Amino acid sequence: MSDRRIGVYICHCGGNISDYVDVERVREAVQGEPCVVVAKTAMFTCSDATQQEMVQDIKEQNLDGLVVASCSPKLHLFTFRNVARRAGLNPYQYTQVNVREQCSWTHTDDKEGATIKAIRLIRAGIARTCLTEPLEPIIIDTVPQVLVVGGGIAGLRAAIGLADIGIAVFLVEKSPAVGGWINRLGKMYPHGKNGGQLIAKLVDEVKKRQNITLFTNAELVEKSGNIGNFNVKIRVSGQGNKKDNITANVGSIIIATGFETYQPKEGEFGYGIDGVINLPEFKELLDRCDGIPTRNGKEIKDIVYIYCVGSRQQPDLENPNLYCSRYCCNAAVHSSILAVEKDPKSHQYHLFKDMRTYGKYESLYGQSRETGSTYLRFGEDAPPAVEKCSDGKIKVSVKDLLTFGEEVEIKADVVVLVTGMVPRKNDELVDVLKLPVGRDRFFNEIHPKLRPVETVVDGVFICAACQGPKNSSESVASALSAVTQSASILKKGYVELEPLMASVNPELCHWCDVCVKTCPYSAIEKGEDQGKEVARINKTGCKGCGGCVPICPRDAIDLKGYTDAQIKSMIDGFLKETF
Amino acid sequence: MNYDILVVGSGIGGMESSLKLGDMGYKVLLVEKEPSVGGKMILLSKVFPTLDCASCISTPKMAATQHHPNVDVMIYSEVEKIKRDGEGRFKVRVRKKPTFVKHSLCTGCRQCEMTCNVAVPDQYNFDLVARRAAHIAFPQAVPKKAVIERQGSSPCLFICPTGVKAHGYVALARTGKYDEAFKLVLEDTPLVGSLGRACFALCEGECTRGSLEGPVSIRRIKRFIADRYYQGHSEPEYKAPEEPNGKKVAIVGSGPAGLTAAFHLARKGYTVKIFEAAARPGGMLRLGIPSYRIPKDVVDRDIKNVTALGVEIETGVRVENLEDLKSQGFEAVFIAAGCQGPAKMGVPGEDLAGVLYGVDFLRRVNLGEAVPLGQRVAVIGGGNVAMDTARSALRLGAREVHVYCLEKEGELFASPEEVEAALHEGVKINHAKGVRSIIGDIPPQEVCPNTSEGTKGSVTGLVTIAVKSLFDENKRFNPTYIDGTEEEAAIDNIIISIGQRAELNFIGGLKQITGPGGRLAVNPDTLATPVPGVFAGGDVVTGPSLIVKAGGQGRRAAFFIDRYLRGEALEGAGFDYRLPVADKEQVIARQQSYKTSVPVEKKEILKEKPADFTEVELPLAEEEAQYSAGRCLDCGVCSQCQQCVATCPANAIDMGMKEETVETEVSSVIVSTGFKLFPADAKPQYGYKKFRNVITGMEMDRLLAPTRPYNTVLRPGDGKVPESIAFILCTGSRDQTVNNPLCSRVCCMYSLKHNQLIMGALPLADVTVYYIDIRAFSKGYEEFYQQTKGMGTNFVKGKVAKVEEKENGNLILHYEDIDNGGKLIQAEHDMVVLSVGLLPNREYMNLFAGEELEADDFFFVKETDEDLNPGKTSIDGVFVAGTASGARDIPDSILHAGAAAAQAAAHVERTRMLK
Repeated sequence: MSDRRIGVYICHCGGNISDYVDVERVREAVQGEPCVVVAKTAMFTCSDATQQEMVQDIKEQNLDGLVVASCSPKLHLFTFRNVARRAGLNPYQYTQVNVREQCSWTHTDDKEGATIKAIRLIRAGIARTCLTEPLEPIIIDTVPQVLVVGGGIAGLRAAIGLADIGIAVFLVEKSPAVGGWINRLGKMYPHGKNGGQLIAKLVDEVKKRQNITLFTNAELVEKSGNIGNFNVKIRVSGQGNKKDNITANVGSIIIATGFETYQPKEGEFGYGIDGVINLPEFKELLDRCDGIPTRNGKEIKDIVYIYCVGSRQQPDLENPNLYCSRYCCNAAVHSSILAVEKDPKSHQYHLFKDMRTYGKYESLYGQSRETGSTYLRFGEDAPPAVEKCSDGKIKVSVKDLLTFGEEVEIKADVVVLVTGMVPRKNDELVDVLKLPVGRDRFFNEIHPKLRPVETVVDGVFICAACQGPKNSSESVASALSAVTQSASILKKGYVELEPLMASVNPELCHWCDVCVKTCPYSAIEKGEDQGKEVARINKTGCKGCGGCVPICPRDAIDLKGYTDAQIKSMIDGFLKETF
Repeated sequence: MNYDILVVGSGIGGMESSLKLGDMGYKVLLVEKEPSVGGKMILLSKVFPTLDCASCISTPKMAATQHHPNVDVMIYSEVEKIKRDGEGRFKVRVRKKPTFVKHSLCTGCRQCEMTCNVAVPDQYNFDLVARRAAHIAFPQAVPKKAVIERQGSSPCLFICPTGVKAHGYVALARTGKYDEAFKLVLEDTPLVGSLGRACFALCEGECTRGSLEGPVSIRRIKRFIADRYYQGHSEPEYKAPEEPNGKKVAIVGSGPAGLTAAFHLARKGYTVKIFEAAARPGGMLRLGIPSYRIPKDVVDRDIKNVTALGVEIETGVRVENLEDLKSQGFEAVFIAAGCQGPAKMGVPGEDLAGVLYGVDFLRRVNLGEAVPLGQRVAVIGGGNVAMDTARSALRLGAREVHVYCLEKEGELFASPEEVEAALHEGVKINHAKGVRSIIGDIPPQEVCPNTSEGTKGSVTGLVTIAVKSLFDENKRFNPTYIDGTEEEAAIDNIIISIGQRAELNFIGGLKQITGPGGRLAVNPDTLATPVPGVFAGGDVVTGPSLIVKAGGQGRRAAFFIDRYLRGEALEGAGFDYRLPVADKEQVIARQQSYKTSVPVEKKEILKEKPADFTEVELPLAEEEAQYSAGRCLDCGVCSQCQQCVATCPANAIDMGMKEETVETEVSSVIVSTGFKLFPADAKPQYGYKKFRNVITGMEMDRLLAPTRPYNTVLRPGDGKVPESIAFILCTGSRDQTVNNPLCSRVCCMYSLKHNQLIMGALPLADVTVYYIDIRAFSKGYEEFYQQTKGMGTNFVKGKVAKVEEKENGNLILHYEDIDNGGKLIQAEHDMVVLSVGLLPNREYMNLFAGEELEADDFFFVKETDEDLNPGKTSIDGVFVAGTASGARDIPDSILHAGAAAAQAAAHVERTRMLK
């Protein structure tokens, strides 16, 4: 019998757990478990009040183990580890038992079953906790330098933001010049700023800052190390085929690689017909013309905009883009305002599904209607048809729902396909950084609210349109948010890494190198112990995945925090049949 | 202490900025006006598109904010002014509102909340349910500390000269806590029974309900609780302090002032002795007020409240010389001798036999002496004493009682109820009549000698004259008469009740304590006379006044005598601090569900020519008392019933807590003051507040939240579980008619979230969304929209023109069905949710002095360089985060707050470089 003293706290989570799990019965069932000296329930264990209560209990009852049965550790592992820390208990003697996502929410139809499962899960958690040992995080000094990948408006602004709070920056841009999409734009919504001028201003600011090093024609090709101290290799292409490799140490990496514009397929809404162009092409055309817009020498009088091209696609398409591209309604409406400014006699016809000029951009929508734009709404099932006419015009037919299904035909000089954003192809970068990609194929953050610029790769942050469609100022805001996130780690001077990692028992290890081959992080190498060849774990490389543990033919590897003994005791706890 | 950055507002944006800046090592001051950090997000059910609990996302951030070593949080505080100083930094003044709970002691146990007797709409549940005046904002509050809401002093208790907590005992009576109510009154005065009957009830004159259907019957409620308590307790439940402090205080006079002072002094441990000249104690309570108004056993029982504390009352002794008291070991004296001497008229015949004075007459009657009266009695005077005299005379057998008063009808000094009762009993009142002379069986002399000695004959009649005016041009009392209007009346007795004066024969050599009007002169604050240790109060200082005023003076005197005897300074001691009086208009404006409710009529046994002194006013029955107390509008919110003070196990309640002002300096400011919700009643055609089953999106969030008020989704109107719920999108957004052309960005999405949650909570309910465009524009939103569609929400493109209510509470929506030919259609739903939008919170406009924090065209904080520096404002070094600069969803607010933090940090670094 262990003489451990464990506190168990079971959360109602408002009603999220207690509506489906009989929390009080669970408490009664586990309070007599070996080593349990405190067993309580709480409306919200994460609330400050319950946290304080736990701190008090840990101190007063001399607890040396803590179990909270609540939600996923993704949400609150750190919350409760901090509770332990504040109470003077080693944070790694805490176990979070997930009785919400993995129990109450999945068994809403079976209260009895959910209650029993919760009891089992908590017993397993208690058993694990009984065998915990105090562990100390691995402290790594951080390098006050950041690698920013991508020299568009977001990357430039991030670099300046970091430099301004004393963090040195390596800014890497794949193409020969910085500026990205914005550099090609003239007047932008909503403030009428000129994109090229904005970029010029940022480039000027970058030049003023000595702690920003800019590489163009450059790519990130290798990364090793950990948050706080990565080693990165940047390949810079010079004249001809000359390539230089530059290495640098950085504390974090910010990815700001932006987006691609959707390229319509041949025939999609008439794409391929002369005069059917996509939104960036139309914007460029407008920016280029001083007076009445012309195309191939012909004045453009009648313009049809077809919205949601490449966005909000039907799920039955191959690899459909189900998402909304966010910026395109605003951009198209704004373009039509510009077109009317250049030629007040031109006609603008907007064919849309839902007009998503969100927030203050609604003013643009109003302004466009006041300046004569006509809006027609088409249904999901009746997209507009585009045909070439013999007179060189383009005929667009649509059933307008706003006039109760009237069939409308418009003869246009130009049809603008309001194309959305698609993720940029970045396979190499994804490969180098192991970047997570979401279902929409944009890079994915850990959590849109809790950790909106962080990825599952510690120290690698994402921002702006590589993460999902955003307009220019939104991209800048998210870039600055990534600056803040980087600085909040790097300004502290050190980071703490999880000590939950593999450890080798040198007495048992006979160095067969099976483990080396199985390690996805190349964190195992040959070492020596008292003259004997043994496997050695690289502390900063090991992620604690546990892959090497079962593969070892001599059971010489164990995982700290999840030892074989702990796992076995958890299974025993789980299988106990008294409720 | 100074800081690097001030963050104003602790919603999700403010917390995010603070935490990240704190992590970077900057010192942050976060100021929040509510009692908890967390803003509006913590009040939501779940959050789109991930459907995480709002609590799960918020609480860790709230706790982290509160515990962050680099972040100081000031809750319940408001930034008053921010002003740039010469060195590029900002001077900040923060007003810390009193919580009336010492947060260093409060454990968050909520016992104060459980015991609190005042319920007000719970703003954290968007008024769907009530909360208490003492409350913890919500279960996940950080810090989890109670605050007591006090919106000033309730007018009733603000006006009370004795400082009786009228609102407090009314609130206690309302909840049936009658003993507690009695004890609350007893905190301030021992005269609970007497005041319950004969108090002039200034409180009722101030009662906010007075301007509506009539004031709360505060006095009669007090009588009810006193009667009830006395019935059960013939003796007080307490005894004299076991260890008196050894100091002796003498009190001259056992009237309301003397008794009240003795009560308070004895409770503080003093040995108190009252010297009373009359044969029985009680002063005017016993000698002045007839038994039909205050029965003598009530006076006796009230006096027991004082004597039980060990106060000795020696009756039948007249203090001849104050200076003797000192030699008897009294270290302080309180003179409360009252005004026992009658004021005389100075008319011919006043010295005739049969001419009496009201105070003397009443004293004799009240002491049970036989006072023979003739058939016809004239009472001179128009005050309450005159009415008491007249009505007593009737009871003694006078066949006719005529009151002659100078005032016109309706202008008498006597309270209207007294006048009415007197008339009812058969007293005749002759208005605007002065007395020229009194006629006796021996002709009157020209000048009345100022003595009553010697018989000059007996009264036979009275000559009156009509009053022309009462006041001269200087508004001084100076009656004039109309010559030739003299009338003669045959009268057997005349009782003159035109006033009283003090009799100061006890002052001995201490002439310096006398003042104008033949009364005593005191410092009005401390009631100290020029002679150290001698205090005076009550009628002997103020002239004839009210019981409750005399009692107030007694309480005041006790406070200062105590300080005097403890050797503390008297000046500036701050006796009886009361918050400024509550604003009645605001009180009426904040009533959510006002129901007309008339006062319980006053019931008296009034018969013509009453033959005895039986009490005339009938008590309130228990139901009447509760009903009456239930009419209270809780003007000051907290009723000062003191229950929390008694209950708090940590002794954390401090009703005397005052506002504090804190000044500090910062280098940079982040304004994260959030938004206001569109007030749905500004779209009257949708019937919000008129139709109870029309609710707002925020209310639906509360209905769905884990801390939901009803534990399920139901119609507020009748508790029915709704089967068909309609959402009207763009309520107050994209709408020129309410001056808000903007889209609010979040309402489509939160409505979709509601749809999904409702389908989980009420799987059988139909959900219909009336929309213009569904704006699911951000990451994962369109997918969420499609998912909602797939789950069965019925989306109808069409703006709802109006909502009507059916008798069963169901609602008829009139709308244009755009997608199906544009027909005008009516649809019936049993609940309607108005998806209200976000409006600017303009409170930021007054934050800065000397510089203007510019607003954009829509009154949000203007971002002056949104393209490159989102969050930068018109003031250098000041940034805006989150919805203060425009409607945003939570992820966008968090990113925006991160951007503001990066720039604020950069600004701090620049400021440091300049140094």
